Amino acid sequence: MPIPQLVPSKGESYDPAERPPPFGHALKQYFPLDEDYVNLNPGSWGTLPLPVLFAATRLGYQIERNPDKMYRQLFHPLIVQARESIAKLVGADRDEVVFTPNATLAINTVLRNFEWREGDLLVGGAYDYHAVLLHHLLTHTKAATSYGGIANTIRYLADRSEQPRPELCLVKYIFPLTHAQILENFRTSLREFKAEHAAFGTQFTDVPPLSPGYTDDPAERKNKIVVVLDAITAAPGALMPWKEMVRVCTEEGAWAVVDAAHSIGQEPDINLSEAKPDFWITDCHKWLYAKRGCAVLYVPKRNQHIIKSSIPTSHEYVHAGSAKAMEKGTNFVMQHGWTGTPDHTAYASVPDALAFREWLGGEKVINDYCHQLALDGGKRLAHILGTRVLDETGELTLNMSNVRLPLPVEKSRGELYTPETISHINVYMRDKLLDEWGTYVVHFFHAGAWWCRCSPQVFNELSDFDYLGNALLAVCEDILEAFNLNK
Amino acid sequence: MPFPQLVPLKGESYDPTEKPPPFGHALKKYIPLDEDYVNLNPGSWGTLPLPVLFAATRLAYEIERNPDKIYRQVFHPLIVQARESIAKLVGADRDEIVFAPNATHALNTVLRNFEWREGDLLVGATTLYGGIANTIRYLADRSEHPRPEPCLIEYTFPLTHAQILDIFRTKLREFKAQHVTAGTQFTDIPPLSPGYTEAPAERKNKIVVVLDSITATPGALMPWQEMVRVCREEGAWAVVDAAHSIGQEPNINLSEAKPDFWVTDCHKWLYAKRGCAVLYVPKRNQHVVKSSIPTSHEYVHAGSAKAREKGTNFVMQHGWTGTPDHTSYASVPDALAFRNWLGGEKVINDYCHKLALDGGERLTRIMGTCVLDKTGELTLNMVNVRLPLPVEKVRGELYTPEKIAQINVYLRDKLLDEWKTYAVHYIHAGAWWCRCSPQVFNELSDFDYLGNALNVVCEEITEVFDLTEKQA
Repeated sequence: MPIPQLVPSKGESYDPAERPPPFGHALKQYFPLDEDYVNLNPGSWGTLPLPVLFAATRLGYQIERNPDKMYRQLFHPLIVQARESIAKLVGADRDEVVFTPNATLAINTVLRNFEWREGDLLVGGAYDYHAVLLHHLLTHTKAATSYGGIANTIRYLADRSEQPRPELCLVKYIFPLTHAQILENFRTSLREFKAEHAAFGTQFTDVPPLSPGYTDDPAERKNKIVVVLDAITAAPGALMPWKEMVRVCTEEGAWAVVDAAHSIGQEPDINLSEAKPDFWITDCHKWLYAKRGCAVLYVPKRNQHIIKSSIPTSHEYVHAGSAKAMEKGTNFVMQHGWTGTPDHTAYASVPDALAFREWLGGEKVINDYCHQLALDGGKRLAHILGTRVLDETGELTLNMSNVRLPLPVEKSRGELYTPETISHINVYMRDKLLDEWGTYVVHFFHAGAWWCRCSPQVFNELSDFDYLGNALLAVCEDILEAFNLNK
Repeated sequence: MPFPQLVPLKGESYDPTEKPPPFGHALKKYIPLDEDYVNLNPGSWGTLPLPVLFAATRLAYEIERNPDKIYRQVFHPLIVQARESIAKLVGADRDEIVFAPNATHALNTVLRNFEWREGDLLVGATTLYGGIANTIRYLADRSEHPRPEPCLIEYTFPLTHAQILDIFRTKLREFKAQHVTAGTQFTDIPPLSPGYTEAPAERKNKIVVVLDSITATPGALMPWQEMVRVCREEGAWAVVDAAHSIGQEPNINLSEAKPDFWVTDCHKWLYAKRGCAVLYVPKRNQHVVKSSIPTSHEYVHAGSAKAREKGTNFVMQHGWTGTPDHTSYASVPDALAFRNWLGGEKVINDYCHKLALDGGERLTRIMGTCVLDKTGELTLNMVNVRLPLPVEKVRGELYTPEKIAQINVYLRDKLLDEWKTYAVHYIHAGAWWCRCSPQVFNELSDFDYLGNALNVVCEEITEVFDLTEKQA
């Protein structure tokens, strides 16, 4: 029995020739969220329009009607088309862009492909204070660093029980900061790390192709510095001056791996052929309306020789030194076309997602709305809570706004909040918000204070922030009592 | 707009208290395949029952109604339940079982977690699945130290289990002896091997063996439990690629067989949604798997207080490796319930096994050829039958690599487009074969249909590619 032809129900289709409804609650009819769920957190998992979900479900059913035909004959062109549309959006070449199930795996693909040597430096970002305790923080406080999975990948690589392994360095950011301060901090730290190790005799001659002093000769290339930097941090949710940071990396001869998980569909004018990061990764399901489980790995042609193997390794892996290697290099695109049996309907959902966004008016229209709402909503929330937004200048805010919660601030670490207390408060807040109030935002602890991060979408309105504000007031009062924080 | 409640349509639900239809075409109403598609290849991607697909779709929609609620609160218990049901099925402990998106990924997790040293041996076989063979190759391809050395065992079917075991034991000992003579000390042996020592300083080099429980092409059951025993005796780590095992191989008892690592796909034969594999790592070996791939929030820094408490935190690490589409993992209990309804593992596999044997025999008569497995030892639910194409006695005599690729494309397109049927086709030891993997919705007449199709297509190939068997 083949699956009956799926017929779209309410909200699952739209006429591209007709005007869309106005942004705000009128758009909720095209999104799958529960009526009574006030979602101000599409930034975590993303939420996709009903028509995109419908198309992906229908494709999934089509595959089941004849998996052999679909996988062996038809599927490939769909994926190529999806890659093409992403490439256009980010200013890259189609064959520099491949899909992976999520950003964490894409970054793992890059970091695990480097052949690490003793003396190599692997530089990450840490968003908290007390440098001395950073190693401790990394294992106890999830919000302390660049996204947990990435920080842990860096840690894992440095944890190898014997040589060779890179050394871990962390650049610390304690918000609020301006872009100028971030850049200054970054440049200074990077130079410090370099100088410190050069003084011991390390020669950082394995520099990326666009850096001064690049050499083709492998014998000359001794050690390297690889920097993982965020385009937009997660908690807090803040836009970084990443293009300038990439430039600093190039000047300093460091490889720049950009975790741009939050960028596509939120950050305007991503122009990778101009910005020239060495590697760039983003999630299409967070802000771009694609189905969950769709990330993009961008590797410019000049660096594809570094990515010797997809993860996991695939049928298309090319043995170094073989005739095929001479012809295809590392076969970057083909390797990532098939890494074991997939559920690739997420990748194939990208063109449908882009078509829907076009219908709404396009990238600029969408992001102007969300950006304005993030700013206005943040202000509104700060007003209701009697607190403030994290981003004082506006530099850090695209479509995410971080507002302080009305909970006590500790001036020295551990004074009020032990790691266990932080954990318990997080669980408490999560459960109260979801179960009792039917709303959610990411909440996190940073520099002694508690914050929430709102990531409004085209179906949100200012009144959602009112609702959230009330919920947070009530929940924080509960917390003060339940955890005995009333001073 | 929340979804309209999804309502199951024809075939998308069943009453577990009512008897199922008889096996064969009467069951097709519960399967999503096109009416006119004669699928004898569920062994590749698997095909899942409509009720399981419906439940997975409904779960996916529920997630979209409130991703935060589902992912942060509700989802975890579903996955734990799924892991529990797998553990029961394979004779393992629940916390020795985690999910991965597919078998290739799971095997990569194991092989990439070993800290390779110069002198280590990584032993594979010519019959390993492409992605796995390439993983071994990739690890050995590191452009500088440290990297393992790849060793390859060759199997040319047909072979009996006794022959396979003999080849395996002999070659493994050869590889060992060869390198011991050169000075390598293989003292990094798995915990159950004689001479195992806790002291890390004593552990120098290791031998890691990747072996199939059931090979892909040809589709053949290997004497894997005995091969694991040989590994143990020889001090080699046994990594078992059992992608085809669950839902096809009866009586998998991992606490008895004691492989060091074991990996299987739930979407091939177990009726789970595609994108669901199992990685089994017994507690004694969990310290080897330091990090999931990709590394997750739950990674535990070696030497930390948390490490002393949780070791490598194996289960938690694999609970979340970045944003997923985990509805496939959650589909396992629905898949098992459906199989129970049909009568259970034994009933299903008895039917498929018999059909594989009978169908294979039928095909040989229609095509005038033979089955690969002469003794029956190699056949669970997959049968390999020779295609009526010329056999080359010397490699490359008739079929260059290019020609092989072209013939495969031709076969694929003709079968799918003109005949609407399919079975995996491949060249092995100079001859062409097809591999049929019948399911509960297949009948003998499907083999008749396939046989006719193959006869016609092979005639065309003989002409199009100008193939004439060389005279001896």
